This record gives sequence, structure tokens and C-alpha cells, in this order.
Amino acid sequence: MLSAFRSALATPDLRRKILFTLMIIAIYRVGATIPSPGVSYPNVKRCLENVDDQGVVQLLNLFSGGALLQLSVFALGIMPYITASIIIQLLTVVIPRFEQLKKEGQSGQGKLTQFTRYLTIALAILQATGIVAMADRGQLFGNCQDPIIPNSNIFTLIVIVVTMTAGTAIIMWFGELITERGIGNGMSLLMFINIAARIPAEGAAILDKGGVTFAVVCVFALLIIASVVFVEQGQRRIPVQYAKRMIGRRMYGGTSTYLPLKVNQAGVIPVIFASSLLYLPDLISRLVGADGAGWQNFIANYIVKQDSWVHISVYFLLIIFFTYFYITITFNVNERADEMKKFGGFIPGIRPGRPTSEYLQFVLSRITLPGSLYLGIIAVLPNFFLEVTDSGQNQNFPFGGTAVLIMVGVGLDTVKQIESQLMQRNYEGFLK
Amino acid sequence: MAEDKEREEGQERPSRPSTAASRRERRGTARPAAAASTGKDVDPKTERVKAVRPAGKTDAADAKDKKGRATPSRERKAEKVSFFARIARFLREVVSELRKVIWPTRKQLITYTAVVLVFVAFMVALVSGLDLLLGKGVFWLFG
Repeated sequence: MLSAFRSALATPDLRRKILFTLMIIAIYRVGATIPSPGVSYPNVKRCLENVDDQGVVQLLNLFSGGALLQLSVFALGIMPYITASIIIQLLTVVIPRFEQLKKEGQSGQGKLTQFTRYLTIALAILQATGIVAMADRGQLFGNCQDPIIPNSNIFTLIVIVVTMTAGTAIIMWFGELITERGIGNGMSLLMFINIAARIPAEGAAILDKGGVTFAVVCVFALLIIASVVFVEQGQRRIPVQYAKRMIGRRMYGGTSTYLPLKVNQAGVIPVIFASSLLYLPDLISRLVGADGAGWQNFIANYIVKQDSWVHISVYFLLIIFFTYFYITITFNVNERADEMKKFGGFIPGIRPGRPTSEYLQFVLSRITLPGSLYLGIIAVLPNFFLEVTDSGQNQNFPFGGTAVLIMVGVGLDTVKQIESQLMQRNYEGFLK
Repeated sequence: MAEDKEREEGQERPSRPSTAASRRERRGTARPAAAASTGKDVDPKTERVKAVRPAGKTDAADAKDKKGRATPSRERKAEKVSFFARIARFLREVVSELRKVIWPTRKQLITYTAVVLVFVAFMVALVSGLDLLLGKGVFWLFG
């Protein structure tokens, strides 16, 4: 494996990509530590030490790599961008014009990306306003007396909101830069970085509870990671036979390959979708302000509290829904069947064209059920182990659930991408 | 059904060209004439065009009709199946697809897990190192 690392760095093209990605990550972390203008850094530091706020702010904090509670420039993290892209993708099903744009190919896709960016900015403004308002009212850190924004006139607050929004725009750009010129998917890699940033602190917190607990958690985490890897690697291979063709005097094709359908074809995206959708009600109720209305109590007691059965089941169902949804969006069976037909390929025993696409749909919908159940179970699992971690901290718990799925998914993706780049140059990769 | 029969009969009546080449030729001559000329003689010609064009497809249409006649009984049977039976069938299909899944071998599993662990460890070390340095810097600057 070490030699693979060396050859990865020896390839000039790949080295540039890796270093570029690392550079973006470094800049990202710089932005995540610099406090916004007008925020009193010492006060925030003091408040952070005795923070005991539960629930969704913690989850957001996990997803923003601890930047949120520090009210840093990049406080909002990649979350608004993810939420925006979910909403746009949802809308492609609902709004005919969006669907048309999606079918239009390159230019339509560009238009959709543009909409996503605008929506990101809008969401960022909304979220930044909410967070700044909460910080100003002193709600961000449960019961902390020190004023986080000492000089809180309207101008300062607006400056903070604008800074955070601009920060989100830069993060969005970073994500796209990584996807384009670096290694891996930028959006999920930045998400991964946020989670990785929380691991040392969380690990230390668990270590404080005693060595035995820590060991148990570590073994448990290893088991979860191994099982996630196991399912991620599971493939249903649909045999595809290519017809022989004569071009000039030479014979082409006639090979038999397979179309790999992963058991978890959707990856971690459904989990991210579901969790970001679940925090919306809390965000709304916080934005409206606590006036003790019935629906706010309901949200606080059932949706935010992570050990309530409503939260668990809604989360689980959302994940299953989004798995199917995302697969329908990303894996277009008709397109695949058409492509296969175009290049003279067919599945043995099944006619090209519509029967092929029907067969693909059949297999995909069957294979996705266990995949989605697995995603749901892994994501919900830590909610049942509240005794090991603190209650309310379980989502935050980086060795279980959402975080592990993201970590393993992104890790595998990125390493595989490096691997395929190495393979192009006939180097031996990491994965023998 | 009655309409179908009529159409089929209608298709049988005009003398059909037997080979593909002659059919093509006929169509080629019939179309421009119909498009260009106006007046009395349009009607019979367009009539013939209409009659000829589906005639070329009769083989496929016949096959389809045969299929259409054979399948209904099966489809009706499928509709009768209750909701639970359908779920049971779906689950059985899920299991049978799962059996066809190729799972990673033990060796692959270990390699992949190790690679993921190394990757995560590297990233965590990098990010926490960066954070430590940056935190000190920010503390020095603002604290």
C-alpha cells in the first residue's frame, strides 16, 4: 500500500490534483476558524466550554465541523448548498419546466446549476439570519451569560449575515473546484472534512468516560465500518453481451462484460438528504421564535429529540424514500438500455430496448430495498445506543450512523478515484 | 375487435406488392403524386397510399395482435393477486436478486476496510493538525 502512495505522488498529474484538494481543504479550515466580524472570540470560547445544548444545533455543528458554534466565517458550511441541490432535484419531478431543462442536456443542466446556486444563497441568508438572531438573543449556547456579539446594533448584525452568506458562496465554489480539478466529489469531501474535524474532540469525550467504554466503542465502530464497506462493495452484476461487428477487415466487439448495480446504488446522499430535511422544522420553529405554541412543542419533543420513536421512524422512512428517489433520478434505466442498444449490447435472454429497460428497472427496484433498509438501519443505529454516548449527542457521535456512512462512502469514493487514475498509468493501486 | 377485423380485411384487399423493393417503389411513386396534384384524382391515390402503408406493417401488426389475444388471461390473473401476496412475491424476488449479488471476499473486505481507515486517519490527522495550528493563531490574534 505504501508503494501505491508513493506512485500516487510520483505521478505529476495526480500529485497536482491531490495537492490542490489538500490546499482547498486547508483554506476551508482557515475560514472555519476565523470568527466573523463583530463576534467576540473570547466570549464564544468561554461559552463553548459549558455548552450543553441538545439536538439539531449539535447536528448542524457536526456538519459544519464545529464552525457553527464558533460563528466563524464559514459557519454555515456546505449544508445550504446540499439543501438547495436537494430542493432543486425534488422540483425537477414536480415542475415540468425543470424537467424539460434536465432533459435538455448540457445547457439545461447549466441552468439548473444556476438555480441551485441562487437558492443556496437564499438559504444561506435565511440560515445566517436565524443563527445570528439566536446568537444575539443568547439562545445559541443554552445558558451562557457572556454576550457573543457585544456591540449588537443592526449594522453589525447585517455585516455578520453578509459575511456568512459570502462564506457559503465561497464554500460552494470550493466544492465545485474540488470536483472539477481535484480528487473526489467536492460536496461530500467537504462534508467529510467537517466530520473529521469533530472526531478528535468526540473521541476525547468518550475516552473521558473510561477506557473500557472507549474500547467497546472502537470495536463497535470498526464493526460498523467493516459492514458498511461490505455492503458498499456488494454488486449485482448483470451480464451484457456485445455483438461482433466487422469494420473494414477487422472484427470488433463480441465481448461479454457486466453492468454493475451496487446494492447501495445511491451512496450516502439519501442519508444527507434525510437528515438535512429533518432539521428544517427545527430551524423554522427557531426562526419564528419560542412562543410556546403547540406545534413547536411537538417539534421539540418528537422531531428534534433523537431518541423519540417519531424521530427515528421518520428518519428511517425518509432515508428509504430518498434512496428510491435518488436512484430514479441518477440511474435512468431507459437511457442505459438505449445506450446498450446503440453500442450493440444486450442482456442475454432479454431483447434490447424496452424489455431491457424494464428488466433493469425490475432488478434495480428489487436490489434497492435491502440497500435502503441497510442505509436506514446504519443511520438509525446510534439512536439506540444512548447509554454509551450522552443522550442527544448520539447523532454527533462520529463513530455511528450518518457520520460513518459519509466517512466510509467518501473514503471509498476518493480512494477509488485515485486508484483509477493510477490504473491509467499502469501503476499498481491501493486495492489489489 | 370488430374494427380490427375490418382493418385487417381492408388491408388484405388491395393487391399487395410482394417484395420490399417493389413496395418501396410503389410508395415512392405514390407519395409525390398525392402531394403535388390537386383535384379529382387525389382521392383514390391517397386512398391507396393509406391502404398500402399499413400493409407493409401487417406482419408486425399480426404478431402484436396474436400477443394481445394470448396475454389477457394472464394479466387478469395477475390482477386478482392480493396486496399481501404481491408483497410476498416482491420479497421473494428481492431475496432471489440478493442471492445473485457478488459480495466482496474476505481479503477484499480487509483491504478496503484498511484503506478506508488509513484514509480517515490521514484526514483526521491533517484536519486536527491544521485546526490546532489555526486555533492557536486565531487565539493569538483575537483572544
